[in-house]
Amino acid sequence: MSERADTSPVTKIVVVEDLTKDLRPGFGLRRKRVLDRISFSVERGEIFGFVGPNGAGKTTTLKVLMGLIRATSGRAQILGHDVRETAYRRHVGFLPENPYFHDFLTGREFLAFYAKLSGLRRSNRAARIEALLDLVGLREAADARLRTYSKGMLQRIGLAQSLVHDPEVVFLDEPMSGLDPLGRKEIRDLILRLRTEGKTVFMNSHILSDVEMLCDRVAIIAEGRIRYEGGVDAFLPHGESGTDVVATGLAPEAAAKLHDRLGERMRVQGERVELRVPHKQVGELLAELLAMGAEVTSVMPHRASLESIFLSTVQERRRWAR
Amino acid sequence: MGALIRIYTLAGNTLREVIRNRILYVLLCFAIVLIATGVVLSALSYVEQERILQDVGLGSIRLFGTVIAIFLGVGVLHKEVDRRTIYTILSKPISRSEFVLGKYLGLTATIWLQLLIMSAAFALISWLAHAPLGTGHAAALLLSGLEMSLMVAVATLFSAFTTPMLASFFTAGIWVVGHLTRDLRQLASHSDVSAVRELAVWIHRLLPDLESFNVSIQAVHGLPIEGSEVTLPIAYGIGYASLVLILAIVLFERRDFR
Repeated sequence: MSERADTSPVTKIVVVEDLTKDLRPGFGLRRKRVLDRISFSVERGEIFGFVGPNGAGKTTTLKVLMGLIRATSGRAQILGHDVRETAYRRHVGFLPENPYFHDFLTGREFLAFYAKLSGLRRSNRAARIEALLDLVGLREAADARLRTYSKGMLQRIGLAQSLVHDPEVVFLDEPMSGLDPLGRKEIRDLILRLRTEGKTVFMNSHILSDVEMLCDRVAIIAEGRIRYEGGVDAFLPHGESGTDVVATGLAPEAAAKLHDRLGERMRVQGERVELRVPHKQVGELLAELLAMGAEVTSVMPHRASLESIFLSTVQERRRWAR
Repeated sequence: MGALIRIYTLAGNTLREVIRNRILYVLLCFAIVLIATGVVLSALSYVEQERILQDVGLGSIRLFGTVIAIFLGVGVLHKEVDRRTIYTILSKPISRSEFVLGKYLGLTATIWLQLLIMSAAFALISWLAHAPLGTGHAAALLLSGLEMSLMVAVATLFSAFTTPMLASFFTAGIWVVGHLTRDLRQLASHSDVSAVRELAVWIHRLLPDLESFNVSIQAVHGLPIEGSEVTLPIAYGIGYASLVLILAIVLFERRDFR
C-alpha cells in the first residue's frame, strides 16, 4: 500500500490536547462537562490502556477520536490527521463496546462489506477475508448469519472487521466485556498478536487485570479528567505497598521470631500467617520461610495504585455530592 | 471513484437488508391482492369495467408504494444510529454524506424493484381482463416511482434527526399536503385577502407538488399525455429530492452519535 509511506514518519499515533466535550442532557438543562481538557498521546507500536471507572469519559473520548461526536474544544489527531477527516481512516480500525452489527449478513459477507468500504481491491479481498476468519477462529461459522452468533463470536468477528484493511492502529472499546474466561483469553491473545505484528493498539477498559496483563502504557481518566499517564510499572509493587505472602505450617517459636521483626506487617490466623514485605525482600523472606519448614501457599504482589486512584475518585465524588 | 464504490457498497448492503426482511414480502403480497381486487370491483359494474380495474390497480400501486417508501425511509438512518451499526461504518474511510447517499440510493433501488413487481402484476391482470395497455400506463407507473423516490428522500430527511415514529407522521403529513397544494393554491386564488393568496402560493412552492406526478387518469382513460407532462415532473422530482437530501446531509453531518 503506497499510502502507508506518508504516515510512517509519525511516531505519535494519537495526540489529544486539551480536549473538552460538553453535553446538554436535554432542553433547558445545564451543560455537563464530560471531558475536561484531557491530554495524552499514544506511541507507535504500544498497547495503550485508557482506563477508568464506568462513566468516566472513556467511550466519549473514543467516539471523539472516531469522529462520531465533535469535541467542544481542543485538538485530537490520529496519525497526524485531524480526527474530523475521513481519508486517513483507512489506517484505523475500530471495535465498539458490545458491538451490534447487521445481523442479516453472514460472517463472510460482513467482512466483505467492510473490506469494500475500506477500499480493499477485489484481488486481495477474498484472501484477506479467509486469513481473518482463520485468525479469529470463525471459519466454520463464516456462512452463518450474524444473528446466530454468540457474544464471543460477535466480538471476534468485530475484531476481524477492525483489522480487515490491515490498519496501523486499532481502537478497542472494552474488548473483553461480557465475555467468558475462554473468550477473554482468545481476545487477549489476539491483541498481543497485533503488537507482535507492529500494530498500535488503543484499548478502553475498566478491568485492571486485563490492563496490567496487556498494556505497555496507560492513561487513567476519572470524572472527565486525566489522573495519570505513564507506564504500567507504576502499578507494580513499589514503595509502601509490597507483596503479600501467605504461609502455613510455621512452628510457633519461628512465627514469634518473625513477628518480632515484622511487627504489624505480619498477621497470624491460627496455622496460617500473612506477611507483607517490600517487593525487593520477597526472595529473602521466601527462603527464610522455607528454611523454617513452612509451606508457602500464595505470593501476590499488592497492586494498590490503580485501585487507590479509583477509590480516591469515588471518595472525591461523594464529598462533592454532600 | 472511491466514493462511488463506497456509496455503491452501502446501497447494495441496504438493498440486501430489505430483501432479507420478511415483512416486506407480506406488504408486497397485500399490494398485489389489492391490485387484483380491481377484478372484483369491475365485475360489479356494467360499464367501463377495464377503467375501474386499472384505476384500482394504479391507485393501489401508488398507495402501497408510498406506504412502503415511508415505512422503510423513516428508519433508514435512525436504525443504523440506534443499533450502533453506524459506529464501525463511519470508522472506515467513509464520509457522512456518502453514508446518507448510499442508504438513500439503496432504499430507492428497493422501491423501484417493488414497483417493477407490482407493475408486472398490474400488467398481468390488465392482460387477463383484456384491458388496453400502453405508454400512458408506463408513464403513470414511472412517475409514481418518482413520487415514491421523492418520499424516500423526505423520509430520509426526517430520519436524519428524529425517531421513526415522528418521522413517519411528518412524512405522511407532507405526502397528504403535497397532494393538496395545487388545489389549495387554486382555491386561495379566489380569496380577497392577499396574504392568504401569498401563503397558498408559498406552500405550493415549498412543499412538493405531488399531483404533478399523477397522470393515472389520462392513462386509464386513454387520453394523450404530452412529453412535458413527463419530462418536467422528472426534472422537478430529481431536483426536489436532491435539495431534500442535501438538507438531510447537512443535518446528519452535525449530529453527535452518543
